[in-house]
Amino acid sequence: MEKKPLFDKLRTILLEQDWEERKELAEKLEDLDDQLNSRDRLEEKVQPILQDQQEHFKNNFPKLFGPQITETISKQIKDSQDEVVEALYPIIGRMIKKYIASEIQKLSEKVDAQMELAFSWEGWKVRIKAWISGTPQSEAMMSQLIDPKIEEIFIIEKNSGLLMGSFSKNQTVDQDMIAGMLTAIKAFVEDAFAGGEQELDSIDYDNFKIVVKSFNSFFIAIVASGGMNAAFKDRIDSTVLEFADKVLRKARKGDDEEVDQKQISGSLEEYFNDFDNVDQ
Amino acid sequence: MSISKKVILVGHFGVGKTSLIRQFVHQKFSDEYLTTIGVKIDKKELQVDGMDVTLIIWDIAGETEQNKVPASYQLGAHGVLYVFDITRPSTYQNLHEQVNHMQGLLPNAPIQILANKTDLLTPEECESILGGIDFQEVHQTSAKTGLNVEEAFRLLTKAIVS
Ligand SMILES: Nc1nc2c(ncn2[C@@H]2O[C@H](COP(=O)(O)OP(=O)(O)OP(=O)(O)O)[C@@H](O)[C@H]2O)c(=O)[nH]1
Ligand SMILES: [Mg+2]
Repeated sequence: MEKKPLFDKLRTILLEQDWEERKELAEKLEDLDDQLNSRDRLEEKVQPILQDQQEHFKNNFPKLFGPQITETISKQIKDSQDEVVEALYPIIGRMIKKYIASEIQKLSEKVDAQMELAFSWEGWKVRIKAWISGTPQSEAMMSQLIDPKIEEIFIIEKNSGLLMGSFSKNQTVDQDMIAGMLTAIKAFVEDAFAGGEQELDSIDYDNFKIVVKSFNSFFIAIVASGGMNAAFKDRIDSTVLEFADKVLRKARKGDDEEVDQKQISGSLEEYFNDFDNVDQ
Repeated sequence: MSISKKVILVGHFGVGKTSLIRQFVHQKFSDEYLTTIGVKIDKKELQVDGMDVTLIIWDIAGETEQNKVPASYQLGAHGVLYVFDITRPSTYQNLHEQVNHMQGLLPNAPIQILANKTDLLTPEECESILGGIDFQEVHQTSAKTGLNVEEAFRLLTKAIVS
């Protein structure tokens, strides 16, 4: 009975240091465990390391992966050339068209500048011609390079946006829907920006221009491509006026009468089929 | 010879105008909601009373009040479908007022009222809601199942050409 406490005491004395160490160890372990399992504390420790790694990765990404990526891409392109061409073709086509248009514009400006300087007899001749026809000199020269062409014409009823007749050289899109959309765009622009009696008179996109001529109960949209110049516009104006006067007035005898689409379209063709071929 | 008519779909946001047109023109439906911006135009040819009619359908962006829609989108319309969502009372609260407004703007155009998304409720629930709305003629439709969609456009076209 008496032996037990003594024995315990002895053990305490002998193992005291061990006890201390073990306790310390346990505390350390607990702390470590806490560090590992508490998100905040772990983050505090690991974050800087991750950041370092991230930084390293960022800085060395091109060096580490550049060659593989380049190789993958070029292999991919080689293996699927058709798809790539198909995807790029329209974009590149548009880019080239835009580029050429802008280069021609620049060239045209340069020509203008040179003409200003040139006091030659030739220069004077072009200048006088341009002055008589009311077109800038460069335009007179350039319009010979890229002839403007009428691509499509739509006669559209105001408000309803219904197609009354049309003319098209290469019909690709649904004309009824185009007529509706043009009406909606016109309505939107006039509602949103004009605020008064003003009307939309042209829309530009890529190398096309849509000239809009408004009449009382309908409007005419002329889609033209190429270098639109003043003389061409003039010619459109007078032909459209004549057309409206001779054909549309007749087609709309009664007020509420349905207009004959075929008749209008047929006449449009008569008036405009050879429009581009006339020598200016 | 075919005649063309302009038909417009109006009503609050998200009631299913675009979906009804999609179902009618392309026989398709999607749960995705892509709100219409401004206006979108579609087209469908159909025969009523032995006559070929081309409908030019204007899908107009939803507005709680029709006087906020640019009048130029609505003018010249030969017929109107006023659509509401039967599961959302806010879309039919001002129904009388809105339909009157449209009738004032287009005195000669027939207007039809569509209670859409009926697939989301039981027939009894639909009946009881429509009973509370007190409108002479409301057509129950579902752009999802296609219920009465073709019929609604057909009825409107008949009313337009007669
Ligand atoms: N269950 C069910 N869902 C529908 C129905 N019609 C439309 N929806 C859904 O309702 C949402 C809105 O439909 P839209 O057709 O885009 O509505 P909208 O009237 O054109 O909306 P806005 O263009 O914003 O005016 C979409 O998620 C559709 O999938 C229907 O009949 N039943
Ligand atoms: Mg829509």
